Amino acid sequence: MSDARTESGSDGDRWPERDVGDRADALLAVAQREVDTLVRTRSYGALALGFALVVIGLPLAGDVAGYVPLVLDLSTTVEILVPVLAFAFGTWSVLADTHSGELEVIRTYPISRATYVLGTYLGRAVGLLAVVLAPLVLLGAAVPFVRDPASSVLVSHATVDSPTYFARFVALTSAYALTTLALAMAVSALARTRRAGVALATLAVLVVVFGFDALVLVGLAQGVLGGEALALALGLSPPGAFRGLVLATATGGVISTGPPAANPTASVVGLLWWVVFGLAVATLGAWSPGGR
Amino acid sequence: MTDGDTPPTTDTDGVATGRDGRADGPEADPDGPRRDTTAEDEPTEDASPTVVVDDVHRSFGDVTVLAGTSFEARPGTVSCLVGPNGSGKTTLLRVVAGLLAPDDGTVERRVEGERTVGYLPQTPSFRPQFTLSETLEFYGALTGVDVDAEAVLDRVGLAAVADRSVGALSGGMTRLFGIAQALVGDPPILVLDEPSSGLDPTTTEHVGSVVRGLADDGRTVLLATHELGTVDRIGDVVLVLNDGEIETAASPATLRRETGSETLVHAVSQYTASGDELTVRSEAWEEDG
Repeated sequence: MSDARTESGSDGDRWPERDVGDRADALLAVAQREVDTLVRTRSYGALALGFALVVIGLPLAGDVAGYVPLVLDLSTTVEILVPVLAFAFGTWSVLADTHSGELEVIRTYPISRATYVLGTYLGRAVGLLAVVLAPLVLLGAAVPFVRDPASSVLVSHATVDSPTYFARFVALTSAYALTTLALAMAVSALARTRRAGVALATLAVLVVVFGFDALVLVGLAQGVLGGEALALALGLSPPGAFRGLVLATATGGVISTGPPAANPTASVVGLLWWVVFGLAVATLGAWSPGGR
Repeated sequence: MTDGDTPPTTDTDGVATGRDGRADGPEADPDGPRRDTTAEDEPTEDASPTVVVDDVHRSFGDVTVLAGTSFEARPGTVSCLVGPNGSGKTTLLRVVAGLLAPDDGTVERRVEGERTVGYLPQTPSFRPQFTLSETLEFYGALTGVDVDAEAVLDRVGLAAVADRSVGALSGGMTRLFGIAQALVGDPPILVLDEPSSGLDPTTTEHVGSVVRGLADDGRTVLLATHELGTVDRIGDVVLVLNDGEIETAASPATLRRETGSETLVHAVSQYTASGDELTVRSEAWEEDG
């Protein structure tokens, strides 16, 4: 036997470096555990059903005029509901293990915080994307069958309606879902109790959905933001970035006037930034090597 | 760092006359599994210690929980940490398990392997959506080994319920399953926080048998418990923790002899009581037990 471990209040993850294969196995095991947890928990099924009913029901309640009109119909709904769904899926992830005490057990295994958090995120992301994308894909597939020819005037003057626009919308919705899920992971890792998790998640959803845009509005009203600065600022807000990218790439240019949209480059950077930020906070908050 | 072979024993002068006998469960069951106590003496010290805790301090805010704690634990032995509620047992176990860094002092785990410490928390809990086998396989994947779930469960007597949901286990079975989890990856050190707390006498005895068997296989077992009957039955070393310090470290027989006590309960109370009043500090932190 050799002197393999000595601790004296040292910081940092205490496990030795493992080879890439082992880390990948652990990552996938954690991700699979999250997927299985989602599949076997009825409340997530109920959330999925509710989301599908709203997303499918709203357009079908009116006339479906084509792919681009469908994007315009759904964008606001998605902009609000996806963060709600992401926080519902993500908040009770790391927090579930913290709350039950199982995180302490997991910590005695050779797995780093980053691997644990990333695996948890991947698993939850698979579940979230399945729930978000399934009704959207269904709707997109149904457009040729339910389209009302008489109401296709919306796109006829600007561009040819195309499923490509809807596919872009679905892709952007995925990116938006992944971004807000990363923020939910941060909340999940920072909260120590179920009550704190619910409170933090509620606050975070309000900030994500309304708070950033409200800040931009204040900046606009006070003359701090305007022109290109406004477009950049909108890109730094998750819903602003999503909205800006949808308008820029998924509407075929039918919206040529109206409120200012986010700068597309700033929007991409903004979404990436929030993913990195959320996962970094989640990793640092999951546990402290010095004890929590 | 101490490297001596003698377990560090703190000052035991001024032993107070404590109250006699807390309700800590039955004394040794004559029919239950026991450690080898042919010599009725200190445990063998021919093996090098695998756990060396030296002058560890740990505080939570203004509350000092561990105040210069030192001890050693050797392979093949069961070291039992006993002491009043709030004496720092759980904190010390978490420090040894690597879950909590000491403010000062060192903890050495002189072992090798992918997973060096198996840990049973005071209140083991697992995701109820999974079966026992699935849970063990998950933990096996974290260690990078294919775990033989049935064999591990068989070790603690749960093989028959391998396909049962974790959420459907009784409290005692959950605790046994927690021990099974601690065995995944075959760690040479086991840290068990009250493995038989709240269990009926039969299950308590079964847990004791399992723990004794794990030590007999060469593992270093460190456990915290209030069940002094179990300690008498399976423990090689009793570590009496009081006010964040190890008051003494000795075999149950030596402890009884040195204190002139007939029961281990009385012997331990000599180190943990102050006058007629048991020293129980307020629990200003959530985790400590």
